Amino acid sequence: MPLDTSAYSLALLRVDGRRWNELRRIHAQIRTQAAADGSSYLEMGHTKVMCVVNGPSEPGPRRGATSGGGGGGGGQSKNAEVAVNIVIAGFSSVDRKRRGRGDKHILELQSTISQALAASLHTHLFPHSTINISLHVLSQDGSLLAALINAATLACVDAGIPMTDYVAACTAGSTSTYAANDEGADPLLDMNHQEEQELPGLTVATLGDSDRVAVLVCESRVQVSRLEGMLAVGVDGCKQVREILDRVVRDKGIKMIQEGTVERGVGLNDMELD
Amino acid sequence: MASSQHVLLSPAELAYLHASLSLTPPIRPDGRSLTQFRPLVAETGILPGTNGSARICFADGTEAIVGVKAEVERTRTGHDSPSLDDEGAEDDDDLDNQQDVVKGDNDWVEMTVEIPGYRDDDAGTVFLSAMLSEALLADGEFTKRLWINRRFHWKLYLDILLISPPLSYPLPLLSLTTHLALLATRLPRLKSEGDEDPLFDDDWAAAPYLYARPVQKGSKKTASAPTARPPVTLLVMAVGNNIIFDPSKEELAVADVALAVSVGEHTGFASSKSTEMDIDTEEIKGYHNLRLLSVRTIDPPSRLTPPGIPNASNSAYGANAGAKDTEKKKQQQEQARTAESEAVEGVWKSPRGGAKTLVMAALVQKVLEKGGVADEVLDALDGVDLN
Repeated sequence: MPLDTSAYSLALLRVDGRRWNELRRIHAQIRTQAAADGSSYLEMGHTKVMCVVNGPSEPGPRRGATSGGGGGGGGQSKNAEVAVNIVIAGFSSVDRKRRGRGDKHILELQSTISQALAASLHTHLFPHSTINISLHVLSQDGSLLAALINAATLACVDAGIPMTDYVAACTAGSTSTYAANDEGADPLLDMNHQEEQELPGLTVATLGDSDRVAVLVCESRVQVSRLEGMLAVGVDGCKQVREILDRVVRDKGIKMIQEGTVERGVGLNDMELD
Repeated sequence: MASSQHVLLSPAELAYLHASLSLTPPIRPDGRSLTQFRPLVAETGILPGTNGSARICFADGTEAIVGVKAEVERTRTGHDSPSLDDEGAEDDDDLDNQQDVVKGDNDWVEMTVEIPGYRDDDAGTVFLSAMLSEALLADGEFTKRLWINRRFHWKLYLDILLISPPLSYPLPLLSLTTHLALLATRLPRLKSEGDEDPLFDDDWAAAPYLYARPVQKGSKKTASAPTARPPVTLLVMAVGNNIIFDPSKEELAVADVALAVSVGEHTGFASSKSTEMDIDTEEIKGYHNLRLLSVRTIDPPSRLTPPGIPNASNSAYGANAGAKDTEKKKQQQEQARTAESEAVEGVWKSPRGGAKTLVMAALVQKVLEKGGVADEVLDALDGVDLN
């Protein structure tokens, strides 16, 4: 689908009306599902994903058959295995496209998320066990990997699995695809599906507030000179995403204390409950 | 995904559960009445990218999402009818029989079930989707709704996602969600006429529902204004002579018989010419005109449960104590064998053999009776706001 991105240079507005450094609307909920240990729902623009976490628990008999990319070791090792299972619903994209479980693209997403989370979760506390993360993609509009990582992070927080910090992800791109226009190229934050089709882009995830990059995936050709700018914008976006995720978790926590679902803990008295 | 989930109940617990469920009136573990369903949360129209979508959450935490997507597809012409694309001369007499060519094909509906942790070619998953699509296609009326003209038709894709881990047998949940999603499904309004290439109205607000809604919302429908609706598949089980609806996982673990009963609503115009199908119709005004679409027995997990050992044959209780000579031992082994095959009061034994005919008849009767469970379920689903 050809997209006329040349209009960007006229008003410096993108196809959906954003500036170069603006995120799309991010809406998230945690504890959406009572039966699971942890669950979350996340929207980044029109990309909508759901995540359900079960565990850490003893690995079941079906282990290994369907889990994608066991980051952090198997069931017999000292660390818990993070098994990620992604289901991309047939109705999620504009044209219905069904992907089998053995799809290479899905397997790659699974192992990326699994490894990123295994590095952040304290898996050494749960030897001989498995953390099952199942992700459901309900609607796709770009930045799929970023949305999946954010949703998985929220669900792990909800499940109460100890972790170093949030793994917050977002995408970054560059406005121009050809080398001649080097000085006129702007980096773009949080790409939608149209932009992903047309422009080079990368997905970056950072650990909490730091600049430490946990995931960096680039699937398109891009000039080396642009990479630095894109990465800087992406890391900056991750910090914004982290703030949003943190706000979601805190709001839910306050709500649960107010409703009396959980006891007010020690040291929480000085926290303002607005 | 099999109906036989690993139920962690001991034979003694199973015996207790079985006994309390076969009382009159029975006592269910969660205190529900026989026909009472678990509370659920339902919403429709959650995904703007689909033609229709629904989400249902049961109280036990299981959750499902169904999305319906439609595509226009060229109808394949059979070898018996002339190719419709390059005909010109016989247009005139084709116009005469245009009314009775409205027909459907079961290939026009594609249903997939996704259950996390299970492969999509897993026998249980395939069985689930077969049961759900069978109910939908049973009367042949559904696919007629997908007919556009003689050259084109809608191809409907139903994607059923179970979001939560399968805690109880998910059939009723998936069926109810599919029902709601189909009720919420809208197809663009057709602007072209006859056998032209189809052209549709851009205005989504003008798009008609796949299942036409009654004009007055909220008012009780009467037999004079029949509205068709998609089928509902209910899970029913029997313990002794008691018939229990919407069993939980624990209840299913002691079921003598488990049935999946699909119920549809009979509409006025539906021609019951087809004789291959066995259609029971009850026409009562003020209630839904229910008809039975399909019945499937489900292998209850109770068959795989370990049996209890009666005291008579339990050596820990001195059954074999003092059995020194072989004569006596043999006798006691004989006794033990009869004890194993015969039911002992208060000792769990997994049910064997099929369902009793009378129980089966009562089961189906109970589903179809006026003001019965199916009626109640359909009424409750009417209350869900379709947007």
